[in-house]
Amino acid sequence: MKPVLRTAIAAFAAAIAFSAFAQERVIRIGVLMPISGPGSYFGVMGKEGIELAMEQVAKNPINGYRLQVQYEDSACSPLQATNAVKRVLDQFKPHIVVGEECSDASLAIAPILDQAKVPMLNAGSVTMKLTESGYKYVFRIFPNAEQQSLPLANVAYKTLKARTAVILHEKTNAGSDNADGFEKPFVAMGGKVLAKIDFSRDVNDFTAIATRIASLGKVDVLPTFALEGQTVRLSQALAQARVVKGGGGNAVQMGSIWLPYGYDQKAGQASEGYVRIVQFDPSEKRAMVQSFVKAFNAKYGADKVPTHINAHAYDTILVIADAVRRGATDSESMRDRLSKTKDLEVTTGRITFDAKGQNSDLSVVHFVETQKDLSWKGMSWQ
Amino acid sequence: MVVAALPWLITSPYWRGILIVCAMNVLLALSLNLVLGYTGQLNLGQSAFFGIGAYVSTILVKTYGWNFWLACVAAVGAAGLLGLALAAFAVRLRGHYLAIASLGFAVITYQVLINWEKVTEGVRGIYGILPPVRSTTALFYVVAGIAVVVYVLMDNLVRSPVGDTLRSIREDEISAASLGVNGAIWKAFAFGIGAAIAGLAGCFYPGFVGTLVPDAFNIVESFTMMAMVIVGGMGTMIGPVIGAIVLTFLPELLRGFGESRLMIYGLALTLVVLFMPGGIVQAWLALRSKFS
Amino acid sequence: MSDLAALVVQQSVNGVYLGCLYVMVALGLTLIYGVLNQINFAHADFVTVGAFAAFFTATRFATRVLGLPDAGAYLLSLIVALGVGALLGLAVNAAVFAPLRRGDELRPLIATIGVSVLLENFQLWLFGPIPYQFDSPFSRETIRIGRIFFTAQSVLVVAVSAASIAALYAFMRFTFLGKALRAVAQDRETAGLMGINPNLLIALTIVIASALAGMAGALLGPVLVLTPFAGATVIVKAFAIVIIGGFGNMQGTILAGILVGIIEAFTVQYLGSGLIDLVVFVLLLVMLVLRPTGLIAERKEENV
Repeated sequence: MKPVLRTAIAAFAAAIAFSAFAQERVIRIGVLMPISGPGSYFGVMGKEGIELAMEQVAKNPINGYRLQVQYEDSACSPLQATNAVKRVLDQFKPHIVVGEECSDASLAIAPILDQAKVPMLNAGSVTMKLTESGYKYVFRIFPNAEQQSLPLANVAYKTLKARTAVILHEKTNAGSDNADGFEKPFVAMGGKVLAKIDFSRDVNDFTAIATRIASLGKVDVLPTFALEGQTVRLSQALAQARVVKGGGGNAVQMGSIWLPYGYDQKAGQASEGYVRIVQFDPSEKRAMVQSFVKAFNAKYGADKVPTHINAHAYDTILVIADAVRRGATDSESMRDRLSKTKDLEVTTGRITFDAKGQNSDLSVVHFVETQKDLSWKGMSWQ
Repeated sequence: MVVAALPWLITSPYWRGILIVCAMNVLLALSLNLVLGYTGQLNLGQSAFFGIGAYVSTILVKTYGWNFWLACVAAVGAAGLLGLALAAFAVRLRGHYLAIASLGFAVITYQVLINWEKVTEGVRGIYGILPPVRSTTALFYVVAGIAVVVYVLMDNLVRSPVGDTLRSIREDEISAASLGVNGAIWKAFAFGIGAAIAGLAGCFYPGFVGTLVPDAFNIVESFTMMAMVIVGGMGTMIGPVIGAIVLTFLPELLRGFGESRLMIYGLALTLVVLFMPGGIVQAWLALRSKFS
Repeated sequence: MSDLAALVVQQSVNGVYLGCLYVMVALGLTLIYGVLNQINFAHADFVTVGAFAAFFTATRFATRVLGLPDAGAYLLSLIVALGVGALLGLAVNAAVFAPLRRGDELRPLIATIGVSVLLENFQLWLFGPIPYQFDSPFSRETIRIGRIFFTAQSVLVVAVSAASIAALYAFMRFTFLGKALRAVAQDRETAGLMGINPNLLIALTIVIASALAGMAGALLGPVLVLTPFAGATVIVKAFAIVIIGGFGNMQGTILAGILVGIIEAFTVQYLGSGLIDLVVFVLLLVMLVLRPTGLIAERKEENV
């Protein structure tokens, strides 16, 4: 072929390729997850969920827009989260940021993102302050502290007929908000809180605390709000002190969505009788849930059960993809489309954001009780 | 001056932020240097004064509506007083005892910040804190300006007879006492000033970050400050400045290496103490004399 | 047994268990100070390294490669941690303590801080930031005597610490090396003049102290949140114990350690776990003011 012709064809091909490339537009999603620190299992599971979603939902461009994700480590700490969000805003210039898991970190980045007018999609924090502080760009698909603790208090008082409680919580925004969220309605109904015991994240031996609880007299329920590692140790100590059912006592430990699916296996017999509120249940018959579980197993191994952390992270991509499908192209339109999300079906239920940016659809939330063989048995649906 | 031009050269907001952090670290390193470098007192509690400065100024502004600059003065005063309190301990303690007592002091302050929730909000944290000046550039000028002023003042101080007195305490406290130097008063002086300056740096920290949690003031901060002073060159004026700059920028530049970049603190500190106790300043002087 | 009595006894039992763990850590510190006149800030990290070594031995090596049952694996890990601690101590001594011996007392102290930061971040790079769950099979077995309960693990801890202390004591008192160590602690130069090689003895001290720290790490594994920074939570209390007990004083350290453990348990009972560090440190500062030489005073003169 003549050299001139060859060059012409090459140039033509390059022009087509270039214009195709220029056509492809990108929605940049910054993801702030705790990859290090005590909450790191959140980060690991969150990343798994998002990666799966990117494969399943966002492999091809949506409305001509390709979704692009960049991860930053916020370590579940407000300081590192602040640094991470500033860095990602500066270098990656995302259209939307997903994060964080821990309430303290989420509270730290919310004002920064709100001021930068970049929407923030939260899938893991419970603190009330996130959606009660008047931020216009913050959205949360995770149930907040009151949404979780009020049903817990109701079940405790009405179903379990509990009249005395000892609340155990980690010393963070999330822990305290959940604790207060249980205490107020429980006391209002006529229950009595014998003690509210808090502990920091570096406590790993709960024998002294369990002894203290044993000395308080008749305790009916023990609402517990802590990360998995500490809750495992706590349950075991409570069993040894003969406080909880799993150890021959009478008290029932209760918890929120915080604990992922593997907790019961790790805690062993001590977790028997644990009552918890769940939103994502891998045994739920809904088609979307089952196909998610299947895809998860295909990618990560047949013996790995997806947890709610995986599911919530997966759902953030579903929510964003939905917004892009409805016309989100930049931060402002993203914010607008997100606020208009109505009745979107996701693995953890349905999403409808209220005026404060909080998902108020709790149709899938129900209670389960840990059986002797460590499996879950569904209790009354709320 | 180069320093003044920096914010114009570095345009990304993230790196401008790092500049501000650097300026604060310079202040902190200078504050510790007075106590450690010139007076030879191994004070591991400097993080406490940094924290006091941050919390006092923030609480006064947020809860009681004070003007920022007045709150800052109050914070500096509070930190200074606390420094004198620590000095009261330091008076009778030597070397190791002082180190651990000052560490204990830092731990107690940290625990008070965590537990006195009514006042400090504890680990819940205080959010939405505004800096005294809005733009990052302006904030940098303020903090760097203060650092320069402090540097000049301290330089004059150590060149004066006061400096000699402090140095005599560092070299040999007992002999100095035999010469009529009242160790107690001068140690108190050094501790108080060092604490006050750390408190001053603390005023600007929450506004820059926007969030205030006690975690920023745990004892690791004291070790970091110490690393800056020693790696730069203890007992000199320019040493801590260099140390602060190097140890602020190096981890940022090494970010590509992931977690291993944090080893730089430990590595630098150990190597310097082993081979080059005078820090970068000593190395620089040695190099210069080799080539002149 | 009345409720209050049962409570007091139970918390005391809890406290003794914790106290023994702290004693194991503090003993090494006090030993190094007694013989070397130096504080080892990296001691916490020896504990952490020991804990990691034990973890990997117990969960990976002993069970998978050697096929040992859980209990045996854990016991083996104790020994491994002991060895790893000893080796680490040897390395740090050669790199840091030995070269700096003839300087002022600040430099080695700062060097150990550097080693501490280095070890922490090295482990961070090696093991990552995700906390490991180190379970001892002995923690699951509960022993009950009347209304008091404790785990087989706590029995193990108390037994091991008692044995270590007894062994150390016997060593110091009855063997030649031990007596030589005490001589070096009293007066290094004179000991050198008497034909004892101080360098060798110093190395020996550090090795013993680090070995103790390593084993303490293995015993502490189930109690701590195992990250590269795990040692930091214990070390501050260990320093407090060393001072309260009296620097360089073994009996004082043991007493102070158990005391701190019991104080911790009762603080949790009546005040809350968040206040433990505060209480211990206030106690420390009070001791420094009232009795700087520690619970069991030992005169130490400072030579000009």
